[in-house]
Amino acid sequence: MTPRGRWTVIGLSIAALACSDIAAPLRSDFYEWRLFPPSASGTGVDTLSFHWPPNRLPVRVWVEDRAGLPEDMDRAITTWKEEFLHREFDAIRVSDSAAADVIVRAAGAPSFQRSRLRLLSALADQCTGATDLAVSDDHRQLLLPVRIFIDPGFDQTIPGLEECLALTSIHELGHALGIFQHSTNPADIMFFNPVVALPSARDRATAEILYHLPSTLEAVGP
Amino acid sequence: MRKTACFLTLLLPAAAAILEAQVEYYARVGAVGGSDLVRDAIINEITVRPSVAPLLVLGGSLPVGPSGFRADLEGALSSGKYHSRELGANTDLGTLRTGSLTLGLEGPIRRQLRWRLGLGVLQYWPADDQGVFLEGGATRYLVAAGASYRHPVLPKWDLMTSLQYDFHRFTTDALRARGFSQTQGVSRIALSVGLSRRTR
Repeated sequence: MTPRGRWTVIGLSIAALACSDIAAPLRSDFYEWRLFPPSASGTGVDTLSFHWPPNRLPVRVWVEDRAGLPEDMDRAITTWKEEFLHREFDAIRVSDSAAADVIVRAAGAPSFQRSRLRLLSALADQCTGATDLAVSDDHRQLLLPVRIFIDPGFDQTIPGLEECLALTSIHELGHALGIFQHSTNPADIMFFNPVVALPSARDRATAEILYHLPSTLEAVGP
Repeated sequence: MRKTACFLTLLLPAAAAILEAQVEYYARVGAVGGSDLVRDAIINEITVRPSVAPLLVLGGSLPVGPSGFRADLEGALSSGKYHSRELGANTDLGTLRTGSLTLGLEGPIRRQLRWRLGLGVLQYWPADDQGVFLEGGATRYLVAAGASYRHPVLPKWDLMTSLQYDFHRFTTDALRARGFSQTQGVSRIALSVGLSRRTR
């Protein structure tokens, strides 16, 4: 190769190196997060999808101070925040339940269900969880607060209770941030009876995608 | 060995005196702006970019060889916001500080106008470990090129204006952990004004 040719190759290589962009990963492995209840108009189904809009961040979460739930919910908030790259979700714990977007109680879900939709999960022996979503009759509004129930049961010395409460907190907060359906894969934290301690790559991809698609529900109140 | 040490010991103060006599120090303030740090795609394209930030530059140079060439060591600090952008909407991601240290060579272009080429490292210090900086900041190699103009204002003092371009390739541990491959070419331009002082 002539010296001129060599310099041309070097120059083109440097230019190619300088101009190439970072390559984002494909987020192709995700699961259905939307709900499809019978349509409010009476025919077909409605698609219910929700994420917290930037102007409602940080989401205000009130947590009942029992069974170590405040610490579990702090970890759950941090865990979900860290799943996002572009600050799509943020939440803080507040002391006034009247001003909360999400209310977390250390109790079983009441049999009387005020909300239209209840997402039951974590049906293990140690603890159970449920998230109630109040959706307006026309399926256009999510009426706040979202109510999370995490039941530590009567026997708080049962082995595995701490782990159950920790992962159930992450799971239920996952519903509150917009993943309304359960995964069918036990490797995901949003599996209906979660066994893993942290969100998987599929949980992360699902959360990321839902935060970059339009919501069909608008958060209203408190 | 002993002779060499004695020789160097005797030579050192003399060399230092010569070098000190020809040293130029400078300090400048200005602004720096850069291109995208990250280009992501989640349904839509999302870019992460630092805002134009204030800049502080400190440096010093020594003559090397004939023809007015000088070698320099330059440090620069900036602190500003950075944000993500999707479909025209910006989201504030917090504060991002950078520090760079470059070894450079400069030479005359015409009269008080001088060119500069530099090589060094650039460190990113996010105020919060989150998002693309979840696993902390990043250190990257840097190449720089620019020009400066010195206008004498006092016997030993010049007013110094500098326009500098630099380039590095950006990635972070958090991006690599998320499956981002390759790196993003980042260009930055800095304009700064300050004072330089010659010791002779």
